[in-house]
Amino acid sequence: MEEHRRRAGRLDAAAALAARALPKAFTPWIEQARLDARMLIDRTSGRAPSPLVSEASAPQPLAELDPLGLLPRGLAERLRAAGRDLSMLGSRLVLGKTPPPLIERPRPAAGDVVSLPRKTPNMVRPLRVVNVVRETDDAVSIYLTEEDGSPLEFQPGQFLSIDVEVDGQRLRRAYSLASPSLPDVPRHITVKRIQDGRASNLLNDTIAEGAELKVLGPSGSFTVEPRAVNQRHLVMIAGGSGITPIMSILETVLRVERDSRVTLIYGNRGWDDVIFRDRLSALCEEFGDRLTVDHVLEDPPEWWTGERGLLTVEILESRLRALQIEDDGLQRYFICGPTPMMEAAHVVLAGRGIAASRIAEERFTSPEARSGARGSGKTERVVVSRAGREHGVQVAAGQTILEAGLAAGLDMPFSCAMGGCGACRVRLEDGQVEMEEPNCLSQAEREQGYVLACVGRPLGAVRVEVEES
Amino acid sequence: MLSDKVLDNLPHEIRRRLEPYVEAVQLMTATNNPKVLRSMAMPGVRGLILQRGKQGVPTTMPSHHRVYFDWTYPNDQPEMRNLYQRAKEGQWNGDDLPWHIDVDPENPEKPILPPKFMDYESLRNAGIRLTDLEERRLNASVASWMLSQFLHGEQGALFAAAQVTEAVQFFDGKLYGSTQVVDEGRHVEVFHRYLDTKMNKLYQINDNLFVIIDALIQDSRWDVKFLGMQIMVEGLALGAFGTMYQMTNEPMLKALLKMVIQDEARHVHYGVIALRDHIRNELSDAERHEREDWAFEVALLMRNRFLSFEVYEEWFEHKLTRKEWAKFVTESPGFALFRQVMFKRLVPNLREIGLMSDRIKPHYHRAGLMEYYDGASANQLSGDQLIADLDAA
Repeated sequence: MEEHRRRAGRLDAAAALAARALPKAFTPWIEQARLDARMLIDRTSGRAPSPLVSEASAPQPLAELDPLGLLPRGLAERLRAAGRDLSMLGSRLVLGKTPPPLIERPRPAAGDVVSLPRKTPNMVRPLRVVNVVRETDDAVSIYLTEEDGSPLEFQPGQFLSIDVEVDGQRLRRAYSLASPSLPDVPRHITVKRIQDGRASNLLNDTIAEGAELKVLGPSGSFTVEPRAVNQRHLVMIAGGSGITPIMSILETVLRVERDSRVTLIYGNRGWDDVIFRDRLSALCEEFGDRLTVDHVLEDPPEWWTGERGLLTVEILESRLRALQIEDDGLQRYFICGPTPMMEAAHVVLAGRGIAASRIAEERFTSPEARSGARGSGKTERVVVSRAGREHGVQVAAGQTILEAGLAAGLDMPFSCAMGGCGACRVRLEDGQVEMEEPNCLSQAEREQGYVLACVGRPLGAVRVEVEES
Repeated sequence: MLSDKVLDNLPHEIRRRLEPYVEAVQLMTATNNPKVLRSMAMPGVRGLILQRGKQGVPTTMPSHHRVYFDWTYPNDQPEMRNLYQRAKEGQWNGDDLPWHIDVDPENPEKPILPPKFMDYESLRNAGIRLTDLEERRLNASVASWMLSQFLHGEQGALFAAAQVTEAVQFFDGKLYGSTQVVDEGRHVEVFHRYLDTKMNKLYQINDNLFVIIDALIQDSRWDVKFLGMQIMVEGLALGAFGTMYQMTNEPMLKALLKMVIQDEARHVHYGVIALRDHIRNELSDAERHEREDWAFEVALLMRNRFLSFEVYEEWFEHKLTRKEWAKFVTESPGFALFRQVMFKRLVPNLREIGLMSDRIKPHYHRAGLMEYYDGASANQLSGDQLIADLDAA
């Protein structure tokens, strides 16, 4: 084998030397003679040409062959090096050319460079618990600052994703910041105990001043941009713990926009279940006719004279009428609460001819209620492209595309990392991705091919694009 | 110097072609030690005249050292054993650096090098006016060039560390050396990844740096390899990384350099403890003098490497002479600080291992490098201390 290769190499080198030494007219003859001789060498070494055209390899063109191949390898190498040295000297001294200062080299197509599957990096940051206030028997407000004591920056209505560990399992939950987004006002979330809710019970029972919470965010677009010059009427419908983001928006707007007013329809089971009951009544006193709060109780005390029942279509219609709320074509509506209440609110508002674009809603779903997307159950290759550069990433079984991307060191946007804010939206270019449902992606976004990297797991090879914001 | 006068009287184009060769001859004849001249002459020809590092093909270099085995596995150097323990505990994964950070080398908010790194005023006096954008681009080019040379230096260090591990006679030193090989591999990985994915620009190896690497890789004497790699190249790199760490406002690079500096501090420490007794007690006067002169020659090559002629060739080759560029770089405040910090780290180490006798001091004086004589040497400084010093500065 080795001897055969050496003989063939010498033959090629001799042909190359002859082609360089003789006039061009001889080249076809030399080439033919080379191919003939190669065939003889192959045959005499017992290497018959392959009968299949697909397996036959084209001979290297004569012009590309190096005549130095005739010489022993060591000597040929030295001559080649001397040739390069001479050409280096010649180009600088004779031609006045310096070698290019930059190295240009072919780079592998970035999608071909695949990072190994790695552990998800730490995405959360610690916040310090500086105070804990019990709002009702089943709800607690947790006051937070950044780790260094500085206030948390957020837009009214935004939420934090909080990681808690229960029985060795990491649970991620969204809790809205319920304080107004104003300087010097302490920031807090309010957590209502949910029956059998592992995270809400843990926080209600054990959280104490001095503790640390691991969070992501603030995130979410259920928010307003308060401006002192605004003169508007905001109509809000809240049920139970859905009051938390509403409370933040309501108080911020009332304090910043001196000519705006707010009407809140707020449904609860009983009078003692009303979160922020005292705070709301204090605000009513402070702001007079700029704030109307209309409580609806499902199971009211005997002295109750207000509306009774759940926030159904009928009750909502009757309350809007009773409160004399006429739509002026500009009003914005904010709704947050249990799913049946949200659906009823949509029916009522749609019936009043209010465009969906004027209705903001925040949906909280308990992760236990989600359909658990597990992906394909094995490691898959995902190509992530951003700004024209492609990166191959291995997504381990169970990992989300976001987790694997961050683990591989990619700059992928994200905020809540639980399907609630859309910051990690990517366009699916190829393949299939399974997402945890429900999430915040709209039908229109789904139709345009978007998926959420934070709750999306590949079902096979996938290509996604991170769009520049 | 006569050759400078001759050059000054030549037409620009002829001068441009001849200047590099004149510089090379001046540099190689700076020593009057024939043994040093003999050991550096061929690397000098290969690097400065034939520019082997820029020929566009991989470079092969024969190695001539002897591999030293010891089948009794002695615990012969407790200080090196200690370093080995620290090195094992100090291992880190380059993938854990914050690669998600977007880097724009021309972003004036987070410049890799400070905007006043170079003295653009003196460039204007030489008739070259750059716009703000061009100044930012030139700064980014210098940063890429510097990081490219760090990368090439780390490739040299990777192979030199492997050779030194083979050649050293201390068994604890071999164990420690194995960690340095891994460290250097990681440094090549992270510098290359940074240049490739963040800067998108890679410069050719500087001819002076090539000469140093060529000389120490091909030298058969283990202590010369140590001196070249552990003391000179690593010592100067430590100073250069530290200066860049202090100067840069780019958070990704800062995080990268912080990790690299902590490794480098160990590498130089190892060089000092391996050479200290050997040079002081086991070498003859003539041998010691030769090492001393060799180190001085390498110090000059390192000084010249920072003249960054590759950037000159990219930007100003037909606008300035090499001499004008060298003056501009030498007087630029950023480069001046680099030089100062680098030699501040190097000179005390040479003193500690006994290569800074009275006979060589005048040479360092002339090169303006003696002011750093009293600094702390690497065996008196840990990586954490270095970072704390840099953060406090």
